[in-house]
Amino acid sequence: MRDNYRYVAFRLSFEDPIKARDLQTEIARTAKSLFGDVGVSKLSVRVVAFDGTKGLVRCDFRHVPEVQAVLASIGKIKNNRVCVTTIGTSGTIKAAIEKYLQIEEKIRRIISSYVTVPISGKAVRICGKEIDIIPEDRETIDRADVQFIGITIDDNERLI
Amino acid sequence: MNAYVDIGVHAFPEGADTLKRLNLVAYHLGFSQIVATAHSPYWSQFPDSSLPLGVEIVAATVRDLRKKIAYFKDISTIVSVHGGDERINRAACKDDRVDVLMHPERGKYSGINQVTAKLAEKNEVALGLSLDFFWKTEERERSRLLAFQRRNVSLCRKFEVQVIITSDAYSHLDLRAPRQLKALARLLLFTDQEAEIALSKAPLSILERRVQKKEASI
Repeated sequence: MRDNYRYVAFRLSFEDPIKARDLQTEIARTAKSLFGDVGVSKLSVRVVAFDGTKGLVRCDFRHVPEVQAVLASIGKIKNNRVCVTTIGTSGTIKAAIEKYLQIEEKIRRIISSYVTVPISGKAVRICGKEIDIIPEDRETIDRADVQFIGITIDDNERLI
Repeated sequence: MNAYVDIGVHAFPEGADTLKRLNLVAYHLGFSQIVATAHSPYWSQFPDSSLPLGVEIVAATVRDLRKKIAYFKDISTIVSVHGGDERINRAACKDDRVDVLMHPERGKYSGINQVTAKLAEKNEVALGLSLDFFWKTEERERSRLLAFQRRNVSLCRKFEVQVIITSDAYSHLDLRAPRQLKALARLLLFTDQEAEIALSKAPLSILERRVQKKEASI
């Protein structure tokens, strides 16, 4: 009998770029950790497409919430902090791409600018209104287990 | 469409992202509002112009807890208590000045029992379920916290204690979309309706109650 699948569109927020193979490995590992071998066999989860920032995951139609839980439970891939956000679910790849993935991605630019407001450090990346800073004092980023302090253009208008 | 609220987000200088950055990311994820709270040891690091809306009181003893509640109840909008120690959990549930008891299961045991649950219901203290352990812990630790939280959820259901769900985020990489938090809540045996209330109506009612209490005291 033909299996019925659903395609879950997701967006990946990351600190360092992630490869598709590493993402697939981490999804499989997290699913196994949460649901065990029997559970993973029921989910039938697999990465269908991934372009570095967004992609599609295929899963069994009865277990979409479990797959959303698996994606939400991913915190790190190869020691890089990531966040996988589900955008939507669809029955076909074509509809998933048209509805959820044909969005204009903001361009991520590498910059180098020293800032003192709201924290002393070096601004290294800007993506839309979001700016990442490597701070001089590492206490805060060690506490949050991340590499950058995140601010917006509104926090420091000199960086516009 | 429900308005989703995340109470218990930690902004810079305690967390790694400024409140504006967290607001921007939370808006794109589908939240209508996030409420920043700061652990009491970090409260003094915030400049006066950008004090967070809420405080999460960290106390070693019950006496210390009561002193801090008395101090923060007038200067902070939301008063939550950093749970874990069973004595602190019970003392927080006994005090009607407390709004939320955050993650009571982060101790040796599940954190609350039927007595604590009854006190929480009587004093309108909500239970804060932090789901960050799903992506911050692994294997044994995660299974242990999962079992404790399931037990707490069933106690709250039986004794009608209000529950809120939070991501306890320290950066934008810790924020999760409401639908993902609801999917994780299903693993804690929440129904869809209960998860919806814990993410929308419950936090909003806490905020409204707090504002009314402050106006009444003025």
